[in-house]
Amino acid sequence: MFSFIAQRLGMMILVLAGLITVTFLMTQVLPGDPARAAAGRNATAEQVEAARERLGLDAPVHEQYVSYVGRVVQGDLGTSVFTQRPVTDDIAQVLPSSVELVLAAMLVNVAVALPLGVLSAYRRGRAVDLAARLVALLGAALPVFWLGLMLQAFLSARWGLFPLAGHLPFGVSVPRVTGMTTVDALVAGNPAAFGEAVRHLVLPAVTLAAAYIAVVTRTLRSTMIGALDADYITLARSTGAPEGRVVLSHGLRNALVPTTTILGMQLGWMLGSTVLVESIFGRVGVGAYSVTAVLQNDLYAVIGAVLVIGIVFVLANFVVDLVQLRLNPRLRRGRATDGAEPAAQTLDPAGERA
Amino acid sequence: MTATTSTRSPLKALSVLRAGGRAARHGGTGIVDRAAVGVAGCMVLLALVGPYLAPMSPYAVDLGAALQPPSAEHWFGTDVNGRDILSRLLVGGRTTLLATVAVIAAAMVVGTLVGTAAALGRRVVDEILMRICDIGLSMPAIIVALGLAAAMGPSLQSAVIALAATWWPGYARLVRTLVREVRDAEFVESARMLGVSPARLVFRHVLPNSLSPLYVQTTLDVSAVMLVISGLSFVGVGAQVPSAEWGAMIAASRDTAITAWWTVFFPGAAIAVTAIAFNLVGDWLRVRTDPTLKTGGRP
Repeated sequence: MFSFIAQRLGMMILVLAGLITVTFLMTQVLPGDPARAAAGRNATAEQVEAARERLGLDAPVHEQYVSYVGRVVQGDLGTSVFTQRPVTDDIAQVLPSSVELVLAAMLVNVAVALPLGVLSAYRRGRAVDLAARLVALLGAALPVFWLGLMLQAFLSARWGLFPLAGHLPFGVSVPRVTGMTTVDALVAGNPAAFGEAVRHLVLPAVTLAAAYIAVVTRTLRSTMIGALDADYITLARSTGAPEGRVVLSHGLRNALVPTTTILGMQLGWMLGSTVLVESIFGRVGVGAYSVTAVLQNDLYAVIGAVLVIGIVFVLANFVVDLVQLRLNPRLRRGRATDGAEPAAQTLDPAGERA
Repeated sequence: MTATTSTRSPLKALSVLRAGGRAARHGGTGIVDRAAVGVAGCMVLLALVGPYLAPMSPYAVDLGAALQPPSAEHWFGTDVNGRDILSRLLVGGRTTLLATVAVIAAAMVVGTLVGTAAALGRRVVDEILMRICDIGLSMPAIIVALGLAAAMGPSLQSAVIALAATWWPGYARLVRTLVREVRDAEFVESARMLGVSPARLVFRHVLPNSLSPLYVQTTLDVSAVMLVISGLSFVGVGAQVPSAEWGAMIAASRDTAITAWWTVFFPGAAIAVTAIAFNLVGDWLRVRTDPTLKTGGRP
């Protein structure tokens, strides 16, 4: 058990080191002069020189690397050219809002994929199974950003079912406590604002969840089929247990282990996908922040966002590995590598990736 | 799992999707598989000849004809600059598909080299290469690609390079597994004993006999890569705005999505149809080439 944790911990540190190295490479492949990029487009020659010295860009590459690692470890991701504030502060400001969106999307994901996966496995070849297959097929193929724009154009703009964009209606505001609008509305004791915040969350969350629903449904369906065909199900039935109990406590419980792993990994993937969703719905968040930074040519901000999302992703996967340890007793017997792949190494089949 | 395709009841007729999969699982080819191969083939064909079929110029601005809904003249309508969307799709398909193929080809070459080296090399080489792959696989591809492409200067070329750089570890792991399966096979052993040179052994004997699952994987990856590439264009680090690349077309039309849905709908539908077709073809190929899948459910 401890060797399993140690192994995963070691891997996590390696991945974090890899991530820092990759982002360092990003600062190195900048076309033109990185000092100029850091100082800003309208900087004077002296300011550029000052930036060069401050960032140690006149030092050899390996020294630059060491100082870069040192700065990142201390939480210094550079200064945004656009906001003129430390990138770390900027991102800390917007990250809670992204976390809120990701959690909402996860809720949608579970609420749709769990019943769909179970039912499609239970009623194989029937209408619900066909529906699940369609969901899986579409979810893996529809471009996220396109889905968002279309939902917005039809459900919001045309039919007025949902608000168009933003976090709250014009003129409504809640004092910022956590940075998550729904939570802040509750803290402020404002149920009306909470309702509005939830309404504003629906379409972005559905858009973000779509691709992941497809993956979870597919996975749950196939593991559930395996579980339902097992001997212990026949045994449970023969003892006269009610069918719902057989399917849920005997079938689903056993099929859930791989599904929980995937759900956990998806938290990290979803945070990456906010890049494609947040700006469409005019939401504040680390995804929208990085898109703006790309458009502003604000490279330290882009790289900072990449690093933060990457770190959250890696930490989420580590937690998933620990949860897997809890759920899968076979891992606790010290056969650390037996049959269990580290969470992140199953490629995100949703495009992840997109 | 009962009988194969049957169209006696309406529900059964509706379930062609499943029937397609089922027929394939029995080693045959269902109607959906045929359709998918057909659509995927058409998309590739259109990427080749599309620019010659385009009824109008994809770039000529005609503000007098801006934002016209689909009509007999403009089947898919016109965008904010009065450009014919169908023509732009026909031209842009080549860009999108070529970029996708370029990513997969580059990732496949690197992945094959690394995977083969890991499978046939010394243990320490294997360990180092595989740890690097693990690290690569543990990072979120779209975000790393976004950062790399932004750093290299936003362009389709940057996006392709950046995505290929994040995509190869998956192939390397797959190739390593595949090569390890055949490296001790008798025909390899006998070729080695006949004195075949190591390079020839790898390229003529080992790789050709181990890579078919890799081709299946690349087919399945077409849709995923295409979605990420168009996503990168949408975000602004891929194909730049006047380009008719499908993701860039959506990006350029996002402000008109609400007032003129067709400006966004058709480029996205083109991506979706292509992605669905390649996914189905990939599934079909996988089931056909992997006998262990013919009886079980979908993994």
